[in-house]
Amino acid sequence: MVKLRARCLLVGDPAVGKSALCHMFRSDGAHFQKNYSMTAGVELLVKSISIPETRDSVELYIFDSAGRETFVEACEKLWGQPSVLCLVFDVSSEPSFTSCGRWLERVRAHCPDSHIPGVLVGNKSDLSSRREVETSVALEWAQSQGLEYCETSTKEMENCEAPFLTLAQAFHASYQDRLQTIQNLT
Amino acid sequence: MIDHALSSLGAQVVLATSCDEKHPPENIIDGNIETFWISTGMFPQEFIIRFAESMKISLVTLHSYNVKTLKIEKSISDDATDFEPISEKQLEHIEGHLQTTDIPLNGLTVTHLRFIVTSGFDHFVSVHRISIE
Ligand SMILES: Nc1nc2c(ncn2[C@@H]2O[C@H](COP(=O)(O)OP(=O)(O)OP(=O)(O)O)[C@@H](O)[C@H]2O)c(=O)[nH]1
Ligand SMILES: [Mg+2]
Repeated sequence: MVKLRARCLLVGDPAVGKSALCHMFRSDGAHFQKNYSMTAGVELLVKSISIPETRDSVELYIFDSAGRETFVEACEKLWGQPSVLCLVFDVSSEPSFTSCGRWLERVRAHCPDSHIPGVLVGNKSDLSSRREVETSVALEWAQSQGLEYCETSTKEMENCEAPFLTLAQAFHASYQDRLQTIQNLT
Repeated sequence: MIDHALSSLGAQVVLATSCDEKHPPENIIDGNIETFWISTGMFPQEFIIRFAESMKISLVTLHSYNVKTLKIEKSISDDATDFEPISEKQLEHIEGHLQTTDIPLNGLTVTHLRFIVTSGFDHFVSVHRISIE
């Protein structure tokens, strides 16, 4: 039994629903914030996830980082050495999807030495009549960048745990893999 | 004098920021390079070694994997307080090989040594053995 710890960066354009998503996840679906309250720095949320079919768990330290450009530079100083990445866009906003490449570059600049597992999240899937980004397009881009893809509706409490579970599992898998490597060294 | 197992001299690991029960911090001081302590995610990581009595140390040798920056501090108190920095190192990464790092201490007297890994070449780092002269 082992408890891993991962520093999970949560980034993406303003108002795509990053804070709503991580609060929903942390409160197990008990809380959806309807009114937009802009994040002006970095908010830290901690939650532990059990890895299915093991006795292991991953404690996620979620760094909910401001999307607004004005704050990004200050936020970056708090990112440290991230372990996993959750990159969010709004499926009803094409520009928020276009920005993802830039966000990814920023984050990767913080981890020059190690690959970091990541998931791309298309949030607000409930806004189907206003959808601007097709699932297939997002999925294809995610795959081209080595990211997992999932869609969520925080409002409808749809799939909100999935991105975090995916990340925890990927991090757990990389731990197992690294243990193997180290055991083979000696 | 080169000791092979610090633990046989009464040294203990009194704190470690990670613990996988299969790879406990005691593995650092058991003198065996095949057993190791592994960090379980995030930086910084640290561990503190307490010696049975105050020791005069001229050299610390560390065997590790994926450690990038390492700080070492010493204490001469009985209760692991009042640490003072003594060394800071940038390590090289050699894929597939353990890192061997010598840290000369010029006969410093210590009761505790604290090792802080502030960054790694990967999410997880391991420490296989620490020996002193
Ligand atoms: N319809 C719909 N609205 C959502 C959903 N998720 C979040 N919202 C709304 O979108 C707005 C912005 O949400 P936030 O979570 O504050 O956005 P953010 O990404 O944290 O924004 P910054 O902190 O500025 O970077 C809020 O009014 C939320 O209620 C969703 O799944 N569907
Ligand atoms: Mg926010």
